[in-house]
Amino acid sequence: MEVSRVRALRGPNRWSQRAAIEAIVQCSAAESSAKALKALASELRVHFPELDSPRNLAHALAVTVLHLQIRAGCAVSFLHVATTSEHDTYQVVIEYREEAVGLLALELAHQACTALAQGKNFDFSSAVDRLRDLDEDQRLGPSTASIVRAASARGIPFTRLTEGSLVRFGWGSRARRIQAAETSESSAIAESIAQDKELTKTLLETAGISVPKGRQVINAEDAWNAALEIGLPVVVKPRDGNQGKGVAVNLTAREQVMTAYAAATEVRRDVLVEQFLPGHDFRLLVVGDRLVAAARRDPPQVTGDGITSVQGLIERVNSDPRRGGGHATSLTKITTDATTLATLLEQGLTLADVPAAGQRVVLRNNCNLSTGGTATDVTDQVHPALAECAIDAAQMVGLDVCGIDVVCQTVTQPLEAQGGGIVEVNAAPGLRMHLDPSYGSAQPVGEAIIDALFGADDNGRIPLVAVTGNNGKTTTVRLIAHLLAQVGHRVGMTGTDGVWVNGRRIDTGDCSGPRSARSVLAHPDVDAAVFETARGGLLREGLAFDRCDVAVVTNIGRGDHLGMNFIETAAQLAEVKGTIVRNVAPTGMGVLNAADPLVAEMAQTCPGSVTFFARDRHHPLMAAHRVRGNRVVFEDGGAIVAVQGNVEHRFALRDIPFTNEGQLGFQVENAMAAIAAVWALGLDWTRVRAGLQSFSTDAAGVPGRFNVSYHRGATVIADYGHNPDAMIALVEAVESIPARRRSVVISGAGDRRDIDLSDQTRILGQAFDDVVLYQDACQRGRADGEVLALLRQGLDGARRTRRVDEIQGEFRAIDTALRRLRPGDLCLILVDQVEQALAHIAARIDGLAPALASQLRTNRHPDTRLRGSAGLAQAA
Amino acid sequence: MARFRHQDIQALTLQPTARMNQFPHSITFISETVLRGPNVWTYFPVLETQVDIGSLEDFPSNRIPGFAERLSAWLPGLIEHRCSPGVRGGFLQRLDEGTWPAHILEHVSLELLGLVGLQSGFGRARETEKRGVYRVIISAQQETVSRLALQISRDLVLAAMADRSFDLEAAVDTLRDLAESKWLGPSTAAIATAAEDRGIPMMRLNEGNLVQFGYGCKQRRIWTAETDRTSAIAEGVSRDKELTRRLLAQCGVPVPEGRIVATPDEAWEAAQEIGLPVVIKPTDGNHGRGVFTHLASQDEIIAAWKIAVQEGSAVLVERFIVGNEHRILVVGGKVVAAARGQIASVTGDGQSTVLALIESQLNSDPRRGTTEDHPLNRVRIDSAAQIELSRQGLTPDAIPAAGQEVLIQRNGNVAFDVTDQVHPEVAEQVCLAARIVGLDIAGIDLVAQDISRPLADQGAAIVEVNAGPGLLMHLKPADGFAQPVGKAIIDHLFTGESSGRIPLVGVTGGRGRCAVAQGVAELLREDGRRTGLACAKGVWINQRPLQTEDGANWKGARRLLLNTRVEAAVIENDSHTILNEGLAYDRCQVGIVIDATDAALDHPDLADPEANLRVLRTQIDVVLPSGAAILDAMDPVAVEMIALCDGEVLLYSMDAAAHVLLEHLKRSGRAAAVRDDLIALVHGTHEVVLGPVTDFVESAHEVHALNRVLAIAAAGWALGIAPAQLRGSLKTRVIQEFLV
Repeated sequence: MEVSRVRALRGPNRWSQRAAIEAIVQCSAAESSAKALKALASELRVHFPELDSPRNLAHALAVTVLHLQIRAGCAVSFLHVATTSEHDTYQVVIEYREEAVGLLALELAHQACTALAQGKNFDFSSAVDRLRDLDEDQRLGPSTASIVRAASARGIPFTRLTEGSLVRFGWGSRARRIQAAETSESSAIAESIAQDKELTKTLLETAGISVPKGRQVINAEDAWNAALEIGLPVVVKPRDGNQGKGVAVNLTAREQVMTAYAAATEVRRDVLVEQFLPGHDFRLLVVGDRLVAAARRDPPQVTGDGITSVQGLIERVNSDPRRGGGHATSLTKITTDATTLATLLEQGLTLADVPAAGQRVVLRNNCNLSTGGTATDVTDQVHPALAECAIDAAQMVGLDVCGIDVVCQTVTQPLEAQGGGIVEVNAAPGLRMHLDPSYGSAQPVGEAIIDALFGADDNGRIPLVAVTGNNGKTTTVRLIAHLLAQVGHRVGMTGTDGVWVNGRRIDTGDCSGPRSARSVLAHPDVDAAVFETARGGLLREGLAFDRCDVAVVTNIGRGDHLGMNFIETAAQLAEVKGTIVRNVAPTGMGVLNAADPLVAEMAQTCPGSVTFFARDRHHPLMAAHRVRGNRVVFEDGGAIVAVQGNVEHRFALRDIPFTNEGQLGFQVENAMAAIAAVWALGLDWTRVRAGLQSFSTDAAGVPGRFNVSYHRGATVIADYGHNPDAMIALVEAVESIPARRRSVVISGAGDRRDIDLSDQTRILGQAFDDVVLYQDACQRGRADGEVLALLRQGLDGARRTRRVDEIQGEFRAIDTALRRLRPGDLCLILVDQVEQALAHIAARIDGLAPALASQLRTNRHPDTRLRGSAGLAQAA
Repeated sequence: MARFRHQDIQALTLQPTARMNQFPHSITFISETVLRGPNVWTYFPVLETQVDIGSLEDFPSNRIPGFAERLSAWLPGLIEHRCSPGVRGGFLQRLDEGTWPAHILEHVSLELLGLVGLQSGFGRARETEKRGVYRVIISAQQETVSRLALQISRDLVLAAMADRSFDLEAAVDTLRDLAESKWLGPSTAAIATAAEDRGIPMMRLNEGNLVQFGYGCKQRRIWTAETDRTSAIAEGVSRDKELTRRLLAQCGVPVPEGRIVATPDEAWEAAQEIGLPVVIKPTDGNHGRGVFTHLASQDEIIAAWKIAVQEGSAVLVERFIVGNEHRILVVGGKVVAAARGQIASVTGDGQSTVLALIESQLNSDPRRGTTEDHPLNRVRIDSAAQIELSRQGLTPDAIPAAGQEVLIQRNGNVAFDVTDQVHPEVAEQVCLAARIVGLDIAGIDLVAQDISRPLADQGAAIVEVNAGPGLLMHLKPADGFAQPVGKAIIDHLFTGESSGRIPLVGVTGGRGRCAVAQGVAELLREDGRRTGLACAKGVWINQRPLQTEDGANWKGARRLLLNTRVEAAVIENDSHTILNEGLAYDRCQVGIVIDATDAALDHPDLADPEANLRVLRTQIDVVLPSGAAILDAMDPVAVEMIALCDGEVLLYSMDAAAHVLLEHLKRSGRAAAVRDDLIALVHGTHEVVLGPVTDFVESAHEVHALNRVLAIAAAGWALGIAPAQLRGSLKTRVIQEFLV
């Protein structure tokens, strides 16, 4: 069994909405035999009795990956095994929670299956331990996880920024961050103040909040003097400590104070002596101006029974199954160390002594859960005046999320009434004692933090439009972005030629994948996002977002890139591209081409509403959709019409210059898709109209998408079209433009199927007099001349083509075609290296086109009207 | 706004000269008081010391031979003291004519304070009724420093009188050390100055650079160049250089490629991958420690790794960017200053060692030094310089050939102002970098050949984003203009016209003070503001008591000003507070004086109406130009204060026909007055009747209560509370109880 091309699909993908590991599994014939499979299944069932009979070896592997993760404590359930066009080759897909855990589970499962198949043993329990350790290491800590859960419940998306606890919520300009219980609003100064116990105390005292009396001391002698000034008993602690390190409480004797001083200096040089407040330790959690939780914290302790030693009592307590080893459980085992012994000694005890029945033995004087302390929720009991006092304290220090340590007899009374006080104010407080108290109910503290960060109607999202399809994606993306910019949004946009934020290109190259989309969502200046979502990224990694507001599918047609990545048919391609539709928000909109059957079918899978668009208003799907009160966008009487029920919006095509008064059919379709998309987002129609009017498809605006320019009185059109559907649309468009002689410059990408290459020239041969073939810069695996031969093959028996040239190199081919131009000619250049080629053309030609529409209008012949619609839009 | 109101000491009759072979005299400090806020002397903190000069009363300066000469030889700066003659040399003239030790102590103290950088001092010397006992008042920006200055002055003056030696230099050094330990750092000081220029009050919250600007809920805090809005998470991100780099790169901000390496071999491997030369630095180091640039060989890289690994938790290898280091300061989304670094190199003369050349060619520059006053650091051979030298085949003791250029420091001090040259696109990129990290104030380090060109054109990159950036390089550049970065930070903290003030009402005078303070606080509370009240009965925020002992003092008031939840504050000040503590606030919106004449009962010093005025007017002196004084038209002491207020004056009067009131109304003034047993708010010729007197007090004969109601009403009106609401609030039981 061979496992290859292992991928982490980090977002919604063709298989599922969940993150999953995908791998190709190849099995030999011997491995695939029914007998071998049965043997392996029974071996596996020894370890995973819940296992069903695997259908094949790949399935057995997938099931093992899933169950290893489940055993390690990961809540996963999805798996899928798909056959491929190749014999005994499968795609396996298994859900993961932590990518590293999923990958390791696959590796271990592979080892396990291989070993078992060979009759060897495999140590499943150590594999599970490894996975569990890795998971504990990778996953978010309990505080952060609780906040993330609360965000998810409110539909706020999150992204981990580090392997630690730094998390971003929301997207673009709406994003906020947390790091454990710190938020992006947490003030650095406030944290510094909280770190300085003396300063904090002064500020609290100023605000009339009870705090223990005390002062800083310079040596052990001074510590004792301070203790006498303040009055016994006292607490000795380091000035800037945390986690209770070096803190000694309830000291009454000179000797104790001196020893405590020495211990405290080991943590920090500056040591405080404070009045010891009798009572329990409480932790109050303030978020914003609200008290959201309170817990009583008790030190680890045991109660004597008159028979058992202290040691025995500790062991008995630790045998409680709820007491785990790490941070994961509500109770932690009591630690026995030097501090324990010292604490016992203060009570005149050793571990071997047997305390009297009912005698309470404190094992250490701090209440941290990590050393065996317990937390009891008391949120509901807090007196309003005490709550107000805690809020005052948080605000004096300036912390938005604040853990306040109070010592008092009870939280049911104000502090002043009982001589209690606030002993410490903590930034980034741990939440575990509130989330998972040892006793009492959990408090929704994660929710409180999220509510403080995001207003009631704010889910941190920005309008997000995903666009896919075979042809027309880039133009549609640009147009939607342009329209969004009209209403003042700073738009982030990705596409095959880069990433753009608010008009500035921040990345170049093919940026139609999830990495680029993520960079837009991470950008602080983005108010709305439009993503070209190409097949490659979807297959490689899935989507960069959990859901979108609008998913636009322009067309699938007969498909592109078929035969790659086990995508053999247009229907399979539609299934991949349909991912964006399957992940439309329930409140969102799928914008689908009704004239393309594979696209129209996606309507069934859209969780939100659907807007159909098609030039033909009478298309049965359009008519039916409209009758049901749904949105449709079509062409009618020289206008694009958007209709729902009685509501109708008309956009005259003459006011949408880039459609050339509707003559460029594919541009009309792109405009319809964009109108439908911004309709879903509720954009102001006046601004939309202005945007449609001002949208330009020149080489600067939409490079490589039907960029028209002029040279020696001839029309030169540059386009990035590279599949048969694009050729149909281009031919249709070109035929609407009068020309004496038409020439085309074309190459082919070596990774396309033979038939797709020759089909392109077959279509062009019907419309062009001259064809200049050139060899692509990179042959993508084809032998020299192979692509050219296929292109030439397509021209066999061409209706119109009279001359065919083969040229080496894109620039030379372009130069050849341009040199031959005469006034009144038309030349279509199908560029390959888009930016370089466009720059090359720009340097050669006389000038940019004057307004295309006006040119064409003056030149128009009566016989160059549109000859029916192939129903497909153009140009990648 | 300082108006000094006292005449200088009159020269006393000259006594016959005495020989002073032995010097049997002494000067004793009897008591000292620190007035921490506006006071009877001035508006700034002062140290007031009672000085007993004893027998020196008989020896004015002109009767001690050589004293004036010795003193002015030790302190030549005294010639600048104008003193009462009002001309340069004025004080020396007074010394020649004969003046007494208290007056001399005042000037000597101020001179000493000036020598350690505490200029613009205020000083006064005043006789008391007791012969030989004086009050010496000197400004006390830092009270311990002024106290020490005064002690040194005494020793110095006595030494000069007795013709003894005095180690002035040592004394000044001690004073300077103390002053420097109390000073705000230069960055904080620049911000504080900018706040002062905008009339924003300031309070220090600790001995360091934690400062509060503004009062109560309008306050903002800074700690050096961090503000209370500086996100702790952002600060954490900025410290993690690798994370910062990743976040910036994701948003398209140019950063050098690089990666974290765990071993020296991995460093070399990464360097080859990235392409030589490279930079090696700790991921979370500070102040350029352990940063090595332009490393091109395996040996250098391994050596640099070994040092860098000790300075941080991990080591980063990055592409070396050609160009100069720049520091760009971004405040609130705008570039406010930019500085460029300069390479330090020396030229050999064939005779001197590298070390000697560094001294003679670099460190001889007066701009180089070790203190904050020097814009450039002294050049030392640190580990980075060692690498540079060995790369050139040199050691610190080598003697370069004549004319040989020797590179010492690649990233020298970034202290050459280039603010005006920053290309707009560069500005946009650095602001974006600050936003990505999430910092409101950020120092962006970038390496570029030319800051006036876009980064992408020159392969330039942002190499670091710093929280809490130092401002010194912009305040005191080695070359070019200083930039108003303190102002930028204050403008960022306080947008628009805001000066961080909350409605603040100060009340002083006689018996009615506390009642009026309580009443006004109640008005504000009824108006929906969380109101702090500091008065003789205690300190409250709304109904919550912060203390129940007397709060009509500096400490009580300060509790409110520091409190982040106080939206309005009413502060009672008794005469004791004004005389012995100073006011807790610099200025207030409304100042009320009630029962001024009977304030004499409070304090023996106030028995004389002139002294009474001198003390109580302190409250009126600090009223903001946009604020108002509330004064009794029928109290002669209060009437004297009408002319002293920078803001509006609202009078109140039991008798609507009082002459002063009528004059005031004639000038379109506002007042609260009783006419025909009605309480009315009068504005020039317009009036609004609040109601019959008996609606507010038991009877018209309750004159004290009535006067207080009028003062409260006038204050409420001045605070913008509508008459209808005033009418309702004044009738509430709470206020009624205060009046009894």
